Amino acid sequence: MTDRIWEVFRQEDEGDPMIHAGNVNAADEELAVHYAREFYGRRGESHRLWIVAREAITELDDPDLLKPPFDRSHKKPGGYIIKHKLEAAKQRAATEKEES
Amino acid sequence: MTASPGLAPLEPAARDALAELLLSVADDEFVIGFWDSEWTGIAPMLEEDVATSSIAQDEIGHAKALYELLAELTDDDPDRIAFGREVADYRHAALLNHARGDWAFSVARRYLYETADAVRLTALASSAHSGLAALAGKMRREETYHMLHADAWVRRLADGEARDRFVAALLALWADAQDVFAPLEAGDRLVGEGWLPQPMSELHAAWVARVRPILEPIVGDLAALDPSPDGRRRRTDDFAWLHGEFTRVSGSEEGALW
Repeated sequence: MTDRIWEVFRQEDEGDPMIHAGNVNAADEELAVHYAREFYGRRGESHRLWIVAREAITELDDPDLLKPPFDRSHKKPGGYIIKHKLEAAKQRAATEKEES
Repeated sequence: MTASPGLAPLEPAARDALAELLLSVADDEFVIGFWDSEWTGIAPMLEEDVATSSIAQDEIGHAKALYELLAELTDDDPDRIAFGREVADYRHAALLNHARGDWAFSVARRYLYETADAVRLTALASSAHSGLAALAGKMRREETYHMLHADAWVRRLADGEARDRFVAALLALWADAQDVFAPLEAGDRLVGEGWLPQPMSELHAAWVARVRPILEPIVGDLAALDPSPDGRRRRTDDFAWLHGEFTRVSGSEEGALW
């Protein structure tokens, strides 16, 4: 039997996110389930486990796609500073009110 | 005698009958737990090492619960019952007299034992003794996983490179496996009281009917054997060795805590 690697995700309580717990070696899915249960669930610490063959996982780690060389700060919520614009808008609103 | 809540004190003959039943199940779980723990650190792979050790721990846990129930019944100390007896006073089935052997042998033994234990626990879960019935129900939940694990290994060894060794182990253990259902001295009384809902002979037949269709395609025809009357009294050098191992701490200092 050749061993394969199985990635195990666990959920502590219903509704919690599935978090990567680690992995186990096993010849097939059935034994992987047994071993995942022993490694990540035998102390009653898990509500649910996901056991995924590593080769079933599609990996993306291309830096050109994930860490592009240009400034991408405008795509982050913090990349667009509106503090000053907001102050100016408030002032403008106040002026318009006085004028009316 | 200490009676647990809801249980009326029993007269001595009835108490002894119940004690014989509890001790037989407890010793089975205790001894297979210790044999399988002999794999800790040297199982075929790390993951299997953890799984086997964990299952062995579960069996010791079941033995502990049964010894506690027994100690309550006989006003004894569970640790004394577990560790304070001579080799000849243990009452596990002859199936559990053998050393762990190789991996195929341990899997073969666990499969034979788990299937027999499953039949026995199903019966005990409807025992008229409420404490035993509740405990058997709880044990069954954990044994379900043990059964799946043993099943998984049987299918793998049955047509892998270990097949020859696995077949040899099953054949070597077949006769002694019957003795999980060896008659108890107080068998009639246990059935009469409803503590053991079916006679051992019926449980034995149910077990044979269950394992024959699984094992015969692997090993060929299996002999029709009856459990032997001394099936829970025969002891071996292998078991004497194991006894020396598991009593080493308790034997080094009376009343030692660890």
